[in-house]
Amino acid sequence: MKSDIYNWFFLILKRDLLIAFRRSSTYITPLIFFLIVVSFFPLALSPDQDFLRSLAPGVIWIAALLSSLLAVETIFSEDFKDGTLDEFFVTNEPSFVLVFAKVLCHWLITGLPILLASAISSIILYLPASSFLPMICSLILGTFFMSLLGAMGAALSLGRSAILSSIIVLPFSIPTLLMGTAVVSSAINNQDYSGFLLIMGAMLAIGIPGLCLLTVEAILLNYE
Amino acid sequence: MLPKLKVKNLSCSRADNLLFHDLNFEVVAGKNIEIIGSNGSGKTTLLRILLGLINIGEGKLEWLDNEENYNDYRSIDCFYQGHSLGIKNLLSAHENLSLSSYSFGASEEKIAYALDRVGIKNHLSFTSELSVGQKKRISIARWLLKDFGIYFIDEPFSALDDQATSLIIEIIEELNAKGASFVITGHRASDVISNQIFLDHEV
Repeated sequence: MKSDIYNWFFLILKRDLLIAFRRSSTYITPLIFFLIVVSFFPLALSPDQDFLRSLAPGVIWIAALLSSLLAVETIFSEDFKDGTLDEFFVTNEPSFVLVFAKVLCHWLITGLPILLASAISSIILYLPASSFLPMICSLILGTFFMSLLGAMGAALSLGRSAILSSIIVLPFSIPTLLMGTAVVSSAINNQDYSGFLLIMGAMLAIGIPGLCLLTVEAILLNYE
Repeated sequence: MLPKLKVKNLSCSRADNLLFHDLNFEVVAGKNIEIIGSNGSGKTTLLRILLGLINIGEGKLEWLDNEENYNDYRSIDCFYQGHSLGIKNLLSAHENLSLSSYSFGASEEKIAYALDRVGIKNHLSFTSELSVGQKKRISIARWLLKDFGIYFIDEPFSALDDQATSLIIEIIEELNAKGASFVITGHRASDVISNQIFLDHEV
């Protein structure tokens, strides 16, 4: 019986979220890491309000990119080691759905804690209240794109060094970093930021099908 | 009887090493095939080629005696279990079955039956608390979730006591009676499967 594609998607998501929920380090680590990186700047440079506000877009976005890549290699590595990845590819269900469910799960366990941490960071870095919403919108789009990129890096580095996936992904995160910081900087300076958000949305819209399909091919390379 | 799978003149090399050459065999309903070879002889590679996870080098596969089904294991419901058991330590025995990629269409009763059939009593304990043998039993329980056409099982008899070995043989015979076929691998010939293929050149 050919199963419903949505049931297949939710089965993978439920299974991975259940495992992630039972291993609390997966979602606590990005949150703590983000807050530590952000709080180092006032300590190391200057607690001056204007100075910190001018640094805030870059600091928040660099911390978000690094935090979202912390556990990126785990997207497929555990399934690869315990044999469940083979089973997913042998079933009649589309592999694209498997990859998208795993990316969404990664975003839920790393992207959402980062959003929470960024709200606290906006206070530490004296961000004006008017820039809060654009910052959250840019982080939602940007961290999801990072999860997609991370999945591709994880697939390319399966069975190899854990740090390799981050090294593969970081150069490709530069456009996200530039757009994300531009959104927050524009919001701080009361300028129009909608264009940057639209570009980030377009990157995500192209990235979801494109990067998911590339990730499927990258996983299959490991069997050759 | 129409073969489910025909393997014709299949050859494979890895890094200039010839793993196997000119393999020919058929998988028919209710019959099993055992692929025997030492470590590195290409047993796992052969299973993965049959399942389309690795591209065919030379040769041909025909599914359901159909040229158009060349290299399409999806024309039959196949079950694959590699060296690793496909068991998650942070899930219970029941969750490992209900959230398995093979669990579609399997009712709660079927899951409970499968776990009871392999002798797993504590359905709700995390599998991290179970022994390797018990984990292997959970992986065998997944064979019973649906009526699969062909089971591709990598070394099912390794690291098992006599009781578990007997259980596997019983289940294989039970599923054979329903028309399912098994393609299994092993280091040495088992007593239960008469159709054997040796991959080592010196054997």
